[in-house]
Amino acid sequence: MKKILIIIQREYITRVKRKSFIITTLLAPLGFFALISGSVLISTFSQGRTDVAVIDDSGLFKDVPLPDADDQTVYFHRITGKVDELSAELPKAEKEKRKYQAILYIPANFNINNPNNPVISYRYVERPGMMKKQFIGDRMNDAVAKLRMKMLNINEEVQQQMEKKFQLDYSSLDNQSEKKGYTEAAGIAGMVMGFAIYISLFFYGTMIMKGVMEEKTNRIVEVLTSSVKPFQLLMGKIIGVGAVGLTQFILWIVLMAVVNLVAGIIFGAAIHSHAPSMGSMQGGGLDADDMQLLMKNLSSLPFTQIALLFPLYFLGGFLLYGSLFAAVGAAMGEDGDQQSLMIPITVPIIISIFIAINVINNPDSSLGFWGSIIPFTSPVVMSALLPFRPVWWQIALSVLLLIGGFVLTTYIAARIYRVGILMYGKKITLKEMGKWIFART
Amino acid sequence: MQEAFLFLNIALTFAPMSLLSLQHIVKQYGNYRASDDVSFEIPKGKIFGLLGPNGAGKTTLIRMITRILYPDAGNILFNGEQLSDKHTENIGYMPEERGLYKKMKVGEHLIYLGRLKGLSQIQAKENVNNWLKKFEIETWFNKNIEELSKGMSQKVQFIATVLHNPDLLILDEPFSGLDPINSKLIEEEIRDMSRKGKTIIFSTHRMEQVEEICDEIVLVNKGKKILEGGVKELKQRFKENKFRIHFNGEIKNGLLNNLSVVEQSEGEVIVKYSEEHRGNELLKLFVEHGMEVSSFNELLPSINEIFIRQVEAN
Repeated sequence: MKKILIIIQREYITRVKRKSFIITTLLAPLGFFALISGSVLISTFSQGRTDVAVIDDSGLFKDVPLPDADDQTVYFHRITGKVDELSAELPKAEKEKRKYQAILYIPANFNINNPNNPVISYRYVERPGMMKKQFIGDRMNDAVAKLRMKMLNINEEVQQQMEKKFQLDYSSLDNQSEKKGYTEAAGIAGMVMGFAIYISLFFYGTMIMKGVMEEKTNRIVEVLTSSVKPFQLLMGKIIGVGAVGLTQFILWIVLMAVVNLVAGIIFGAAIHSHAPSMGSMQGGGLDADDMQLLMKNLSSLPFTQIALLFPLYFLGGFLLYGSLFAAVGAAMGEDGDQQSLMIPITVPIIISIFIAINVINNPDSSLGFWGSIIPFTSPVVMSALLPFRPVWWQIALSVLLLIGGFVLTTYIAARIYRVGILMYGKKITLKEMGKWIFART
Repeated sequence: MQEAFLFLNIALTFAPMSLLSLQHIVKQYGNYRASDDVSFEIPKGKIFGLLGPNGAGKTTLIRMITRILYPDAGNILFNGEQLSDKHTENIGYMPEERGLYKKMKVGEHLIYLGRLKGLSQIQAKENVNNWLKKFEIETWFNKNIEELSKGMSQKVQFIATVLHNPDLLILDEPFSGLDPINSKLIEEEIRDMSRKGKTIIFSTHRMEQVEEICDEIVLVNKGKKILEGGVKELKQRFKENKFRIHFNGEIKNGLLNNLSVVEQSEGEVIVKYSEEHRGNELLKLFVEHGMEVSSFNELLPSINEIFIRQVEAN
């Protein structure tokens, strides 16, 4: 045990001291910060202000409201005048002195019953971006709808009642009433956790594999195995790299929280004002109320359960796959050209993320159940499922099988590892690796 | 006082003379037998040469001694005890194919390897400093391994092997990549350790070094032991009774009639003398014929010749 600790210490310290670790750890939250601030800055400054001259020759929209954009990017100005004259005049004016950047023209013969013939036109000198196009189109659609209701003599009260959103009340038959919007919040949390494990299995698994290959290639492994058992070396490496991963995760969470706080202080108002338009742009149709509901539901996730089980699945998955990555690293040639040996490891990880995506939409499916208890897929699938509060026996069975799974894979990997690390100058096949499991050393 | 000497005497009598004893070692890889019933003893405090052509099974034997591999059959005794994991801390191993972690500093690397051999952090650091000082390379402590030349790395690897002061040192081609000055330095260290009672297994292809350094050798080929013994004893055992005589003037008539001449040139002759006769008699014969002998040597085979002869015969 003492020697495993010494190996863990070396693996951990040499890795966290590396420039690449420090850069990756710092750059990820900074990248996140750049993403937030960049998107806010771009949407705030790059869009600029557009003043739209509204010429309503039909006179139909005289009393129909046409509100400006909340984010101060689009202003509507009702004017009277000839559209052709203004159309000719606007491009000639200097950019800074131009009063309007576009004309929203409603022709005199506009027919509310056939609004596409003749059409309402938007003529611009400055091309509108996607978000502005969406906003202006939505505003005109609202205006047409309001006009139509007005012409049908539907009063405002009825109109409001018609517009009122209807909410289905979801509840499970075990009397566990579900809060409104909880599924969406659980889905987002589940996906984040599932992806976090999925990515870390690949990232840190590859790190272990490269570490093993390095020891094999530079031939230090023979000196090491004359001092420690291959199993101790394997465990020390896996746990050491796992600790590096956990450190990086914790640092990322802390740094992201700080970045989020800083970004919130700096860009808080801008983020808030852009949230509705950003939501609608992504097709989710999330308005400010929906966002608020989502945030509220995210805070009501089963945090204690997640805090206990997520690290367990992270660790379990890591030990299970880490040992297999190490075994492949030991079997690989010195030039690392036998990537095909990785297929049996990478395929189950990729399958597990597909199951996890399915689980988010279908938490009670049998695919989700089996995916959450089979040790090769459970770290990713169960992490995605945790916010949906799976039953206790499913969790217990999954944890037990995961423990059994990593004990078995570590045993198998250690047997492959002890032969592979001393094997040089030979291309190894999967069949050969299979034989090593039963070989004597 | 007398009793004390008596006990010491008894203890010395029963203490094993061999540090390492290999008994009927068998190691098989599939259909290939890498060690085939190999037995030999490695005496304490001696420099022992483990020789053999490529693929003879030397590395397999070394790996079994260092517990990297385990024999399929047979026993290995270390100081009279069954070899076990606890003994690995008393063995220093420098393999032929050796490396270091490129991303570590010399000091931390050596301390790490020392700790894996059972030293405490403090002890390891102290030993590292002592060795660096001994080799006059104290400034290397904070040097990155990747900055070292091959020869410099060899020195660091040698320190890593001896850092924990083991009783048994296994050195596989320790001089490869070293310049003559550093070779000499390491050679002196090996001799010094031997003087201090350390046992050294020395594996090399360079036979002149074997002759120079080793006290005893074992020769293995195709997994089998084909020869063992002391270097001097083996040279005597394989000698062919050849003598080189240098002389002044001409060979007297009839002197070489009853002798088997191997080679003859001006002022020198090499003859093979019958085994029942001793060199003195040959010298006497030359003197009695009135020859002025300036030098007279018995030609002993080199270890290299013995090695080639034995391997080819095998």
